Formats: sequence, C-alpha cells, structure tokens
Amino acid sequence: MKPQETASRIAATPADATVSGDVGGVDEVDLAPVRTYWQLVRRRFVRHRMAVISLITLTILIAFAVLVPLLTGDLYKDPDIHRIYGAPEFPGAPLGYDEIGQNVFVRLAKATQTSLIVGFSAVIIIAGVGSLVGAIAGYMGGWVDNALMRFVDVVLTLPILFIILMIVSFFGQGNVWVVVIAIGITGWTLAARLIRGEFLMLREMDFVQAARALGASHRRIVFRHMLPPATGPLIVAAAIGVADAVVIEAALSFLGFGISLPEASLGNMLNNAQTYFIRAPLMVFWPGIILVLMVLCASFLGDGLRDALDPRQKIDVK
Amino acid sequence: MARYMARRLIQAIPIVIGVSIIVFLIVYASPGDPTDRFRTPRVPPEQILALIRSYGLDKPLPEQYLAWVTTFFQPWNIDAWGYSFVDGVPVIEKVMRRMPATFLLMGTALVVTVIVAIPIGIIAAVRQYSWTDKIITTSATIGYALPSFLLGTYILYLGGVLAKQWTNGAVGFPLFGMESLGSRGDPVDIAWHMFMPVLSLAILSIAAWSRYVRSSMLDVLHQDYVRTAKAKGLPRRSVLYKHALRNAMIPIVTLLGLSIPTLIAGAAITETIFSWPGLGSMYVESVGNKDYPVIMALAMLSGIAVILGNLLADVLYGIVDPRIKY
Repeated sequence: MKPQETASRIAATPADATVSGDVGGVDEVDLAPVRTYWQLVRRRFVRHRMAVISLITLTILIAFAVLVPLLTGDLYKDPDIHRIYGAPEFPGAPLGYDEIGQNVFVRLAKATQTSLIVGFSAVIIIAGVGSLVGAIAGYMGGWVDNALMRFVDVVLTLPILFIILMIVSFFGQGNVWVVVIAIGITGWTLAARLIRGEFLMLREMDFVQAARALGASHRRIVFRHMLPPATGPLIVAAAIGVADAVVIEAALSFLGFGISLPEASLGNMLNNAQTYFIRAPLMVFWPGIILVLMVLCASFLGDGLRDALDPRQKIDVK
Repeated sequence: MARYMARRLIQAIPIVIGVSIIVFLIVYASPGDPTDRFRTPRVPPEQILALIRSYGLDKPLPEQYLAWVTTFFQPWNIDAWGYSFVDGVPVIEKVMRRMPATFLLMGTALVVTVIVAIPIGIIAAVRQYSWTDKIITTSATIGYALPSFLLGTYILYLGGVLAKQWTNGAVGFPLFGMESLGSRGDPVDIAWHMFMPVLSLAILSIAAWSRYVRSSMLDVLHQDYVRTAKAKGLPRRSVLYKHALRNAMIPIVTLLGLSIPTLIAGAAITETIFSWPGLGSMYVESVGNKDYPVIMALAMLSGIAVILGNLLADVLYGIVDPRIKY
C-alpha cells in the first residue's frame, strides 16, 4: 500500500485509529487526504456547472456524429425523388427530407462529423505549429524569440478570412484537407503566444534551473520539465481553436468555397437551405443549432478547463 | 508623440513587407497562371507566350515580386494595382467605386454598436449579479458564439421573408443590394436597405463590446478611489459617470481604434449574404473569379488597415489616458 493511501485511510477513519490506540501523536490535520494534480483538476472542473453540461452535450454530439453515419453508410447523399420535402418519419427520418429527397437527419449527422473532423484536425496543426514556435521562441529567447515573434505579428496582420479563402480557392476547392491546412497554418498564433509566455516564465523557475545545473539536455528540459506545466494553456487554446475552425469551415462552405455537395457540411447545408427558405424553413434551423451548440460548448469547456488546469488556483475543494 | 508615431511607422515596414511576401507567394505558388483563362484552342500558343512576356511572368520570382511591390505603393498612378482580369477596369478605380458602400455600412454598424453596447455594459456592471446583469451577460455570451453567416441568414429570413408573410406584404425589408432600381442615392431607400445588414453586424459586435465594457467598468468600480468617492458622500451619479466611467472608457477607446480596419476591409460574409456592394463582397467575388490583381490589392489593403488600426489604437490610448507617455 502506498504511503499516501494509508494516510488517507487513517484520516478517513479516525475512530478506528483511536481504537487501535497507536496513532502516536500524529496530527490529524497533516493527514488530510493527499490528492494528485489530476484529481484536483477533476474536482475543480466538476464544480464548473456550465463546463460539465457542455462536456455532456459535446459527448452526445460526437456520438451522434460517429454512430449515425456508421450505421447508415452512404445514405446521406442518396436522393429519393418520391420523398422530396417528405414529412418526418419515425424512427428512420425524424427531420424529414430535403429538396432532393435526402434524409435530413442522416445528412446532419454526416455534416456534424465533417465539422468535427475539420475542427480536430485543424487543432492538431494549430497546437503543433503553435507549441513548436512558442517553445522555440520562449526557450531560446534573444534574437530567435524576436524574429519568431515578428513573424507572429505578420501572420496576425494578415486578413485571415481573406487568406484562407485564397488558399482554399487556389489549391483545391471542395477538398476537406485543403480547408484543414488553410485553417491550421493561419490559426496557430494564439497557441504560440501562450506557450511562449509560459516558457519565458518557466525558464527562470528554480526547478528548470536545477535541471539545467544537473546537466539535463535541452530536449529533456523542454519535454520533461517545461512542456507538462505548459499543457494547461495549450488545452485552453485548443478548445478555442476547435470552435474557430468549425466556424471557419462552415463559413467557407457557406460561401461556396469549402466542402461541396453532395458531401455534407453544416455550412453547405445552410447555404443550400437558404435557397429553399420559404418551402422548408426548418432546414435552415437544424445546421445552425448544431453549430451554435458546438461553439458555445467549446467556449464553456475552455473556461472550465482554464480554471481546472491552473495549478495556482486556490485549492478549496473538499 | 510625433517621434513615437514615426518609430511605430518604421516598425510597421517589415510587417507590411512580410504580408506582401506571403500574399505574393500564395498567388504565385497556386496551380496554373494568370494566362490560363486565355488558353482556348482559338488562341495560338505564340500569343500566350507573348502575353507571358508582356505580363513579365517569365522573369525570376524576386524580380516579379519587386516589380509588383514597388508599383503597388504608387497608388497615385491609376494602373499601380493592375487591371481586373474580369472587366479590364483599373483595380484602384474598382476599389474606389466600392469603398463608400463598405464605409457607410461598417461605419453605421460601429456607431450603433457604440451607442447600444456602452450603456448595456455599464448597466450590467453597476448591477452586478442582478437579474438584469445575468440576462445581459447570458445573451452576450450567446451572441458572441453566433457565427455571422448564421445570424445574417436568420435575419434575412425573418426580416425579408417572414415579416412580409405575417404582415401581408406591408412590412418587409429589401432582400439584397444597397439601392432600389430607379431611386439612386435616395437616403431613405438606402437606410431601408441597410437595416438588416447593420442589424446583423451590430448584434455580434454589441455582444462583444458589452462584455468588454462590463468587465472594464467592474475593474474600475472595485478600485480604491471609487470607494473613497462613495465614502465622501458624493452623489451616485457623479461617482459613476465622473469617476468610474471615464477610466473605464480607456480600454474601450482602444477597441474603437482596433475596429477601424473593418471600416475599410468590410465584412466579407455579411456583405455577401445581403449582396451589399462593398469591398468584402468584392473580395469573395474576385476569389471566385480568380481575379488575381483585385485579390492581391484587397488583401494588402486590409493588412495595411490592420497595422494603421493598431497604431491608431495606441495613439488614442495615449490621448485619453494622460498617465501614458510616449
């Protein structure tokens, strides 16, 4: 049995301890349950009500986006001329059919899947490039830092939507991966700045200085000592990044530059539904509500994670 | 101040160069070249070669870049930004034709935002944790999460289609454009056309601004000098508006400076939804047409606008906050 578990057991059952009579002057206050960092994170996160609700909602959305397309295969791009604007059917098509007889519910699930794939893939690029640039700038300091941060300034000055539109339209309109890359290579500046800030601070901390004094290699210092405490801000940046990427993809598809029909995306469903406003008004509503839910959940989740992952937060959770 | 501004402008030069290199490289690296649109069986290959030579596309990359950049910064020449591939009109003329519409739309939206968001933010801050505050902050959070094209589409549907159905055609906003045919320059007509796009732009920025105003006002209200002012027995109004508000407005003035670039670059998505004849929708159109000269000019223009906006924000900050010395 590990010592901290023994300690927590003693603290949890003071009566037993008194009975056995060998507490031996150990102060009970010192034996308060020892919690690991991640246990504390979980406790702080659970207190954030909106964040928990968001996590549950996102889990349901992800399940919807994974399971429905898995079960229905290519049904989402399968038109049926007998069911144009068809009424809802249970349980097969609870949201009815669209202007060419495609199942709206199934299409919506596929579109959510597309959005999530774009969001998460783009965030991998954002977090990768961002932490690489930020870590190098923050760790090296000096002219390297200066040069990299001027580069960040340049990217921040670029009209992002304009540049993304340009890349997508020139290098393969309608291709999901071009969209992902375009969002990724323009969106990493926030992550880079956060990681750089953390690294500049961590670099001067005693434990990093100690590791350096002990002769640890640069790689060991960066990966074992500096990156783990910097994951908090990175995760928060990633949560914001997913939401931004999902919105940008939808906006691109809405403008007709992103994912093209018959593939499904929240943006192109919305754009398409706009044409049939009067005939089928609800079709504008469904992709919109999913999009807003995703963005809201990501931002609440980001808030909750920021508070939960910050080790300097007051530990008043009992 | 003048020295500070000069230094900032000099610092901006490498950033402008960086932006121009990136814009140039994206256009240059894209598959195909500007002569592709002439490549039909009816155009002989020699003529294409002649075109390539006359555009200077056979020259080395750095030389092409330098030629483009140096002419770009001579906007007093009508052909400095090249000619549109679509209609052969000089790009400068095209931009100048569209700029007033964008300026009018974005300017009105900004004014509406300032007028509405500042009082809302103040009320929320003064009555912190009250029901009013909760309603304001919740709707601001939701508004902040609304993607612009979603809101624009819904407003278009509500104001343009549903309103007409419900009122049997009595009320209904025009679905697109800036003027009706046959009423050029009639201010009432333009205002009528502007209502829906301004509404959708303003809702989004009011959501963002009121959050800033609220948190900035809360920061100030919790400071010692405000407590002192209250303790002295000054009337509540005077504490709020003379002591607190003036300091709370400092970050907001910065925000104003940062919104200036949108006056020039426009809002591509909202302008496209409402077919507003501004620079934002022109950008989307020219990307669709692969109209390289227009795309490059607009991308550069909005990059420069962002830099000037940042500079303006800092200068305004120095003006409203006498503690800041440059």
